[in-house]
Amino acid sequence: MLSRLVFLAGSLKSSGPIGAGLVQASRSLQTSSQSLAPVPPLPEYGGKVRHGLIPEEFFQLLYPKTGVTGPYMLGTGLLVYLLSKEIYIINHETIAAITIGTIIVYGVKKFGPSVAAFADKLNEDKMAKAQEAKDVAMSSLTQAIENEKKEQWRVEGRAMLFDAKRNNVAMLLETNYRERLHMVTNEVKRRLDYQIALQHLNRRMQQEHMINWVEKNVIGSITPQQEKESIAKCIADLKVLAKTTQAKAAA
Amino acid sequence: MAGRRAALKAIDWLAFAERVPPNQRGMFNALKTRTDAISAKLASLPETPAAIDWSYYRSAVAKAGMVDEFEKKFKALQIPEPVDTQTSNINAQEAEANKSAVAYIEASKARVATYEQELEKFKNMIPFDQMTIDDLNEAFPETKLDKVKYPYWPHKPIANL
Repeated sequence: MLSRLVFLAGSLKSSGPIGAGLVQASRSLQTSSQSLAPVPPLPEYGGKVRHGLIPEEFFQLLYPKTGVTGPYMLGTGLLVYLLSKEIYIINHETIAAITIGTIIVYGVKKFGPSVAAFADKLNEDKMAKAQEAKDVAMSSLTQAIENEKKEQWRVEGRAMLFDAKRNNVAMLLETNYRERLHMVTNEVKRRLDYQIALQHLNRRMQQEHMINWVEKNVIGSITPQQEKESIAKCIADLKVLAKTTQAKAAA
Repeated sequence: MAGRRAALKAIDWLAFAERVPPNQRGMFNALKTRTDAISAKLASLPETPAAIDWSYYRSAVAKAGMVDEFEKKFKALQIPEPVDTQTSNINAQEAEANKSAVAYIEASKARVATYEQELEKFKNMIPFDQMTIDDLNEAFPETKLDKVKYPYWPHKPIANL
């Protein structure tokens, strides 16, 4: 009976614990067809329940007619009815149910959150790994695209290499040409200078030879008689000079 | 003398250096040093040689007509320009390089297209926390479990867990 009430509540708004199942069902139905893509994500939390059992919608349903205490009165009345009319009989199973129920509720309340956190953490780790792999893949792809673009840009500069080579060739040719010009000029100059030097040498040799020849002849032409005369004249001159000097010195 | 002064194209060595990939830097440096040496040699030679002072020589050299003969022959002398054998080679190289460059750019563009396609796929993926296992298998086909080859759980070799 309780489950019937739950079903009634669940049919009104499809976000109870049954609601999640409905959404799942609709998802698996929709993957075959192509309508309604993308599928809306699963809700993160199930529908709200009170006392862990009764959905909130039940209380909302009864609120306009019976106020806040309505569902509780209904519950108490039902319970008393079942017990008094012995529709529900208290026996050993009741005690077992009560104790086991208490222990279960205590256990869940105490350890529930930590177990949930642990399970969530496992899931989180898986997702983080997947996300990281995706990020790495994306960044490496962008990097690869960058590199390719850079390489393309580099290739564009290939003309410069050939310009440099052609420049080199032109410079070498120019250098060679200039060297040839200079060589020609220098050679011509050298030959002319050689002629001039030759002339100078010739002239000098002629002069020296002439001088030597003239000297030799002059010396040879001085006869001994001329020599005696010239010596006598020199002595006479010297005597006169000596006299004048003496006179000067005395005066 | 018309073809002598082939215009030297100004080369921006800085821009050139930027475009050289790192694995060819040695070759670039060698080229640069060679070019610098050649241009230094060129700069050291004056463009025209010093003019010969014919009047001085005419007055100085006694032999009649020698200077005149020299002068005449000198002025009539045409120094042949050095023959350019390499430019055609360089042009051929350039044409080849252009062809291979075009091919490389084509291949590079194809690669870029594939990369961009994959990037788009990654960008348009739904976030992982909204995926089901089916969505994951669609996005990354390598995660699909081969239930035919390994029919029993965990549907992949134990070593790959």
